[in-house]
Amino acid sequence: MHDRLDRQRMNEDAALAAALRALPAADPPDGGWQRLAARIAHARRRRTWLRVALPAALAAGVVLAAWLPQLHRAPVSVHALTQRAAPHPAPAPDVAALRAHSQRLQDWVRTLARDGAPLDDAALADAVALQDRIGLIDLQLSATHDPAASAALWQQRNALLQRLGLLRLQPSTVAMQTRGARKGTMLL
Amino acid sequence: METTTSFAQHIEPEWLARLQRRDVAAFEHVYRRFERAAWNLALRLSGRADVAQEVLHDAMLKAFERAGQYRGDAPFWAWLRKLVVNEWLMRLRRERMQLFEVFTDSLADDDSAAPWTMADSATLDRALNRLPDTARAVLWLYHVEGYTHVEIAGQFGRSVSFSKSQLARGTRRLRELLQLQSNMEDAPCTIGSTGNA
Repeated sequence: MHDRLDRQRMNEDAALAAALRALPAADPPDGGWQRLAARIAHARRRRTWLRVALPAALAAGVVLAAWLPQLHRAPVSVHALTQRAAPHPAPAPDVAALRAHSQRLQDWVRTLARDGAPLDDAALADAVALQDRIGLIDLQLSATHDPAASAALWQQRNALLQRLGLLRLQPSTVAMQTRGARKGTMLL
Repeated sequence: METTTSFAQHIEPEWLARLQRRDVAAFEHVYRRFERAAWNLALRLSGRADVAQEVLHDAMLKAFERAGQYRGDAPFWAWLRKLVVNEWLMRLRRERMQLFEVFTDSLADDDSAAPWTMADSATLDRALNRLPDTARAVLWLYHVEGYTHVEIAGQFGRSVSFSKSQLARGTRRLRELLQLQSNMEDAPCTIGSTGNA
């Protein structure tokens, strides 16, 4: 009885495999390479722009860092002091907000990855390691139902996404390192 | 497991060496060589042309970025194919945050004749696209791409039992969809009422 069922199942598997393999292959859309080449070219232009914009952003950050302490020295009202002195309960973790923030970060990283130039070997290894850790957290998230544990995992995920995004913004990309050497290639 | 994948193409070492030096002309050569195979795999995994297009391009860009990491332990086509599957899995994870669908039905045996032996390709194609993403992917990777259960488990980051279960339940669901379609040929819209588990 079991032999008959096993044989039947093997025959059915073979028939299913044959039927699936016999499905006609689809033609990819026209112009696939041209779109990809345009994407690479756009990414490299963007990298070049970032090489200029990033130092400017860093400079702005330095100015902001110098200005912030001045802001804290501004006069504080009695009401504000009273408010500050009152004990506040620890805020409950807002998993929905963390998740929404994670989605925004993910979109941001995705845009950077899509529009960015290829990473150099060291940055690429870091990016792969970060992506692996994010994947691990995703698996943990799919298995947990505890809000506090979820919130902690979402926070870790967001921190990793931020690091991944900043990695993508680093100016040490292959495109920039080799830009000069590649000026004569067909694409660029 | 027999390999019938259209990915299984030899790539000349000189092209590979140039790709690893991030030569764009070599990348174009590799892209054109594997575009059709990668497109069809992405289309079968995702069941959607727009998603397949993004998976294809993202995987190919990763191949360009990471070609220097390819060590030749496996054929280049197998390495590239893994990138396509990985890209689709990452996309699935990003979009759903819950990677794997859960079947709630039982795994009862069915002695009736296998309907895929009689279904035409268009009918089988439609039924395949009605399967949950993970089950469809496991069916395709196992039967067409020649993955073993161990390889599928590794790719999905799950156990071998997971792969076997998805294959068995996906096969059963495909059978149900084809039988239903066969019985209701005059009212094909009823297929949609079965939904995904």
